[in-house]
Amino acid sequence: MEVLNERGLHARPVTRIAQTASKFRCELTLSRDGQTANAKSVMGMLLLVCPRGSRVTVRASGPDAQTAVDAVRALFVDRFGEGT
Amino acid sequence: MSEPEDAAPRRFLGIPASPGVVVGRAFVADRRRVTVPRRHIAPDDVEAEIQRLRVAISSARVQLEQIRSRLSLDASDHSVILDAHLLMLDDALLIEQSERAIRDEGLNAEWALRRTVEKIKDVFDRADDDYFRERRSDVDFVGERVLRQLMGAPMEISRPLDLHGPVVLVAHELSPADTAALARSDVMAFVTEVGSGTSHTAIMARALTIPAVVGAPDALRYIATGDMLVVDGLRGVVLRNPTDAEAADATDRGERYGAFVRSLRSNRAGVARTRDGTPIRLRANIELPGEVAVAIDHGADGIGLYRTEFLYIDRREPPTEEEQFETFKRIVSTMAPRSVTLRTFDLGGDKFSTAFRIPKEMNPALGMRAVRLALRERDVFRAQLRAMLRASAFGEVRVMIPMIAAVSELRASRREFDLAKEELRAAGLAFRDVPFGIMVETPSAVTMSDLLAKEADFFSIGTNDLMQYTLAIDRGNEHVAHLARPFDPAILRAIATVSRAAKERGIPCALCGAMAAELMAVPVLVGLGVHELSVEPTAVPEIKEALRRIDLAEAKVFAEELLGIASAEEVEQRVRERYEPVFATLLSNGENGTFTETGTFVLPEYTGLR
Repeated sequence: MEVLNERGLHARPVTRIAQTASKFRCELTLSRDGQTANAKSVMGMLLLVCPRGSRVTVRASGPDAQTAVDAVRALFVDRFGEGT
Repeated sequence: MSEPEDAAPRRFLGIPASPGVVVGRAFVADRRRVTVPRRHIAPDDVEAEIQRLRVAISSARVQLEQIRSRLSLDASDHSVILDAHLLMLDDALLIEQSERAIRDEGLNAEWALRRTVEKIKDVFDRADDDYFRERRSDVDFVGERVLRQLMGAPMEISRPLDLHGPVVLVAHELSPADTAALARSDVMAFVTEVGSGTSHTAIMARALTIPAVVGAPDALRYIATGDMLVVDGLRGVVLRNPTDAEAADATDRGERYGAFVRSLRSNRAGVARTRDGTPIRLRANIELPGEVAVAIDHGADGIGLYRTEFLYIDRREPPTEEEQFETFKRIVSTMAPRSVTLRTFDLGGDKFSTAFRIPKEMNPALGMRAVRLALRERDVFRAQLRAMLRASAFGEVRVMIPMIAAVSELRASRREFDLAKEELRAAGLAFRDVPFGIMVETPSAVTMSDLLAKEADFFSIGTNDLMQYTLAIDRGNEHVAHLARPFDPAILRAIATVSRAAKERGIPCALCGAMAAELMAVPVLVGLGVHELSVEPTAVPEIKEALRRIDLAEAKVFAEELLGIASAEEVEQRVRERYEPVFATLLSNGENGTFTETGTFVLPEYTGLR
């Protein structure tokens, strides 16, 4: 998935991802450039340092994996509600 | 007046961020980092130590949740930050690494936590991106919060038992969590070491109508909890351990200021006129769209300066035409039928934007800024001009170009302006005829004002930059800032030259620098032929009242006399003699300018924006 919002995966988007991820039971991770972070970890995701335009791989394993990935995708597509 | 025996300074100069004067006890919210005890623990104690860490984390969470629940509706941005902090507290990265350090290396909880936080911060430090580098402070904030729990050093304002009643809160800086926690407690004023007139603390203080002085360096170094302080939010001064006389004087001034504000606000309606009935346009300078409401509420006759550069700051790309159009439209239609002067972005100099690549300059005030930058970034410039023009369909708009130093720059800007119109016509977008004017704030623009007046639709004198460039004084340099006096004859002559040039060509001559809000300068300015003043919104009622006390014909004669005086000191002296009686009640209440012990009238230092 591509980070589309202006400021990249900063505190607000990452908070929304973590809030969404914690609703699911599956293991959910974000990876970029060989680094992986738990999607329930705000700091972990911030540490991936994803500015606008970076590409992130989302992986999930567990009972509700597909729903979880879809939910996260929706956040990315919506630019985390930030418009630009 | 006796100086204290220790050499520690008593006076701290900062930025007056919210008006008012109070005297009260300091409460120092020391956010400097606690010193962490480091020891190794016995293997038997590992589980207990981990448990201690978990308890600390969960108490920190309870605290943050309480603060969050106290945040009001308008603070959604802050609650997001608090949400992020809350999630960080629960973060596996933080907890697991710390627990591992306790278990595997036998570190005590404080040491383990601090080390984990440092590691995470290191990664952020290495990021190429400013935003992510700044995130280190969030991690730090969360880490410190838990540390303080571990060590029994409270993060929140819990005042000593012997400190009763409202306090002056002194801090390095206040986070949204702090201000939210404080909003309902007994705080009579804020003092911070960092910040500006637009920082969170300043905005909060104005909303709470309590005085604030921000950007007062070293305040924490010398001010201790329990110290008596005078916080002068009118002049941006904090006085530690005032003498009885100073404290009494400050209390008086604070009370008079309160009464003064109430009385002025009661007669703020109506057009500003001099005593003989000549109307003077009195408008407001704003930088945030939200200030429009404040301007209207204080009786401003329009916006004389909207600093659009604030739309460009702290972002990676310039705002789009649409985004700017929406903002301008909102301001213009709210102010209608009153006029709004939109100034194109004045970036560079001391206002840095990440939206443009501006290389580090030796001398940014003389570098790539304002119109020079606009003429380099023509697409961005024209997008802004189009947005401004489109807003004219919703009310009265004037467009103004900053930092013009040559007729050629005015011409090049006007070409872009005309192009912008053509583009709008081609796109079928509506706009009206919009006056196109310039800021006069460079010595060359003053010298060339007769010829500039032929090609500009109006002038607006920017005294802050004009003083800096004319007197060759860096207003940010503490060693010379005191030499920058608005009543310097060179400045008065410059204003006279510009207003004469404007009059000759029949174009309006406004003045939008900080000088316009100086009570004692008002008669001088109108006497010199300035017929539009633009001031900070909250200064409008006072200046309106001042104008009502001035006889224009007399002021003209007086200004003519001042033009023959050789030094700033003599001008100040003369102005004081002449207008102190006229403004006596306003001066004593309104606090514009001060009288030194030798009886000289001095205007406060300029710390505000251009």
